[in-house]
Amino acid sequence: MTDLRSLPRLRDGALNLGDWLTEPQPATAGALNVFAGTVRNTHEGNAVSGMTYHAHRGLAEARLREIEAAAEARFKVSARVAHAVGKLEIGEISVIVVIRGGHRAEGFEACRWTIDTIKQAVPIWKEEHYVDGNARFLEGVPIQPVESP
Amino acid sequence: MRVTVECYGASSRWCGSDAITLDLPDGATGNAALDALADRYPDFAARRDCVAIASGDAITSPTAPLFDGDVIALIPPVSAG
Repeated sequence: MTDLRSLPRLRDGALNLGDWLTEPQPATAGALNVFAGTVRNTHEGNAVSGMTYHAHRGLAEARLREIEAAAEARFKVSARVAHAVGKLEIGEISVIVVIRGGHRAEGFEACRWTIDTIKQAVPIWKEEHYVDGNARFLEGVPIQPVESP
Repeated sequence: MRVTVECYGASSRWCGSDAITLDLPDGATGNAALDALADRYPDFAARRDCVAIASGDAITSPTAPLFDGDVIALIPPVSAG
């Protein structure tokens, strides 16, 4: 069993789901909810060849840890999150959320809240690469604070 | 005073560089820096109001004063996930 608390949440290259499932399930937990986001091969009708994730590293790391802590306080669960930076290929994992909680209801809710918050509060930007050789940054949302419980 | 602006994400395309040096009057705020960039780069001007400013590892208020030698970061709309 590995203690993941000290590991950076922002990782260079594609994520390995197994790396983020090595912590023991708390004896009081009856649910393990996992979300992994992957790079898909099409977007708005365009054939995609890959994705580069850019980040403000210091702020992104701080925000990912802040989101973990907020999820744990809000839903009374254990939360781990990780996000990739750099160039990823189709099908590779860009983001992982692992929630361990008492019951499935708060597990699903916490998992949904966590990934939704990552998408609007972490300074990471997708640069999409297309099969025709073009690339562009995707439109995003103005960065939001992490809501305290 | 002289301030360095780091351009993250799409803002590097709007401003044509990953980093820009601005000469601003003493007492200028983050908003003044954004205004200066908007004057210089039309693609940035069109998106100025959806850009946040970071200093160090935190988002800062655009009304906060800047100081000579400061380094700030442009945080355009985010697309994590």
